[in-house]
Amino acid sequence: MAGNYLPAVELTGSGRPVFLPGEIECSLLSSVDLESEENLNFPRFKSGLLILTTHRLLWLPDTAATTTTTTTYAAVAVPLAAIIHIFSPKKSLKSMFATPRVRFQVSVSPDGRVAENLGSGSKSMVITLVMRGKNDCDAFLSKFWEAWRGRAWESQASGSTGGESRDGSTVGGVRTAMMAGVSGILRKEQEMWESTDKSLQEAFQDLNALMSKAKEMVMLAEKMRLKLLSGSNIQTSATNDEEMGSKQEMQDWLLSVGIASPVTKESAGALYHQQLSRQLADFVKIPLERAGGMINLIDIYCLFNRARGTELISPEDLLRACSIWEKFDVPVMLRKFDSGVRVIQNKSHSDEEVFARIKSLVLKPDALRNGISASDAAMILGIAPAMAKEHLLTAESKGMVLH
Amino acid sequence: MRRRPGIGGLQTAAAARDQYRLLGENVAKIRTDLMTEQLATFRSQLEEFARKHKNDIRKNPAFRSQFHEMCAKVGVDPLASNKGFWAELLGIGDFYYELGVQIVDICLATRPHNGGLINLQELCNLLCQRRKSAREAVSEDDCLRAISKLKVLGSGFEVISVGKKKLVRSVPTELNKDHNEILELAQAQGFVTVEEVERRLTWSSGRAIDALETLLKEGLAMIDDGHRDGKRRYWFPCVSSLSSSVGVDSLKI
Repeated sequence: MAGNYLPAVELTGSGRPVFLPGEIECSLLSSVDLESEENLNFPRFKSGLLILTTHRLLWLPDTAATTTTTTTYAAVAVPLAAIIHIFSPKKSLKSMFATPRVRFQVSVSPDGRVAENLGSGSKSMVITLVMRGKNDCDAFLSKFWEAWRGRAWESQASGSTGGESRDGSTVGGVRTAMMAGVSGILRKEQEMWESTDKSLQEAFQDLNALMSKAKEMVMLAEKMRLKLLSGSNIQTSATNDEEMGSKQEMQDWLLSVGIASPVTKESAGALYHQQLSRQLADFVKIPLERAGGMINLIDIYCLFNRARGTELISPEDLLRACSIWEKFDVPVMLRKFDSGVRVIQNKSHSDEEVFARIKSLVLKPDALRNGISASDAAMILGIAPAMAKEHLLTAESKGMVLH
Repeated sequence: MRRRPGIGGLQTAAAARDQYRLLGENVAKIRTDLMTEQLATFRSQLEEFARKHKNDIRKNPAFRSQFHEMCAKVGVDPLASNKGFWAELLGIGDFYYELGVQIVDICLATRPHNGGLINLQELCNLLCQRRKSAREAVSEDDCLRAISKLKVLGSGFEVISVGKKKLVRSVPTELNKDHNEILELAQAQGFVTVEEVERRLTWSSGRAIDALETLLKEGLAMIDDGHRDGKRRYWFPCVSSLSSSVGVDSLKI
């Protein structure tokens, strides 16, 4: 009979279990079988209600179910204190399609009853919960662990001094239940951390593999760089000409992999940059006008990328594209000042013209007395103050003015 | 190698030709088919990596930083060009290039206040405020990488270390050693006096005043003559936090 193995559960008039002092319900699952595969005499509690509490695992028969079986079992419980170990679920291909099962090991007293192991008897038994209903097995399992680790029954047994017990819950009981909850939360966080770490571990492994391939590419690129820098000095046999990668192809190759390629005198860099170069020459026309013929390269970077929205260009893309201008016939040019500032300017906006204007500015009577500031020059020349400053500095280096 | 007559000779000649070809390959000759094949293999490997970890790179700044370090060690630059495989398949190009644009904007907006020198931490804070709607978190490491890319455009973008802090420069002003030392001194209270500079750094008054006046001229320092003791204070907005000296709301970013 059922009562031989598992202690009975007292029920209230309406069929609810009577909880022990301090016992709190944690989880409720339906359509759960309770069985022991190894013990043939163990009765099979089929399709009942499983209630996990802080103290016990309760199995209640489903009174609504039609009892085709001859025996209707009474409600039974497995004290959590009797559990020795909860098995981790075996995740295998088979288990994906089978009904989820939770297995745990309980200690058994010499006369076969499931009870807390008080040291003497060393017998044990494995009980399996078969979750037939639509239950979240993983969630239940973590709650099961939490409740079992919480050991709420121990603080009860040690005689916690609580207030008067009302409906079986003492102040001490509430405290221990809360503690079980808190430690459970902490552990859940740790488990989440560990699982995140594992997925990152895989990411790092993949990263390492990718990098070793990248290293191979870099070594191949070294050969390419030598070829590109050597020019056409190497004797090439007629048959090998077609097989050899052209310099253009090499430049494009290096660009794809992300390796710097030397821009040689003959070639104009990667095709991408050549196209970009023409695009930019058109784009800068209007901003240049507005800025008085000269504009900071960094300002063009921002303007161009903001206009693009997506598939932005890198600063290096911009620099290379502008550097290519000198090979084409475009009305704009890239220029670098001594200070390191790079600007784009109209070819028609020559230095001589600017110096002439500065000269006329400086030679005016009050200018001769008080000098001109960068902002003065900026206003007269119609350019940005920073640009004006650059011009004045250049003029100074040419001996035209002093500051 | 002597040419032998007959079939044997022909075979030898063929073998010799092959040997020369192989030798040729070792002498900086790159065959197109080898290039193409290697590139295709690399690309598919990167595609696979992207499929699994593109999200990790986007969401995890620590992983992203590690990724960059490894690329640097190997000798590839994933941010060199938007046309590279890295930008195309991993999508990190746009992230950094846009960050660059935003950094330039912020530096420009704060320049009237700090003269073109801004605390890295403050820059990051302002960036995060501005990017509140963006899903991706931005770390200081990300800022540093974006700025290192901006460097090539001239205009003086650079990160300099002053004491324990990192400052981002966005103007081509050259800061010499003397200026750096004053900035470091200013980190304690946000300002220095001529006396303090003379005393703490054991400089002559001429040297101290010269350096301070240059910093003032460049717009990196502000003067405060309003104290009862009559001593002029030189304030450095770049080493003190923005919120303490000027209302953040007044800054339209």
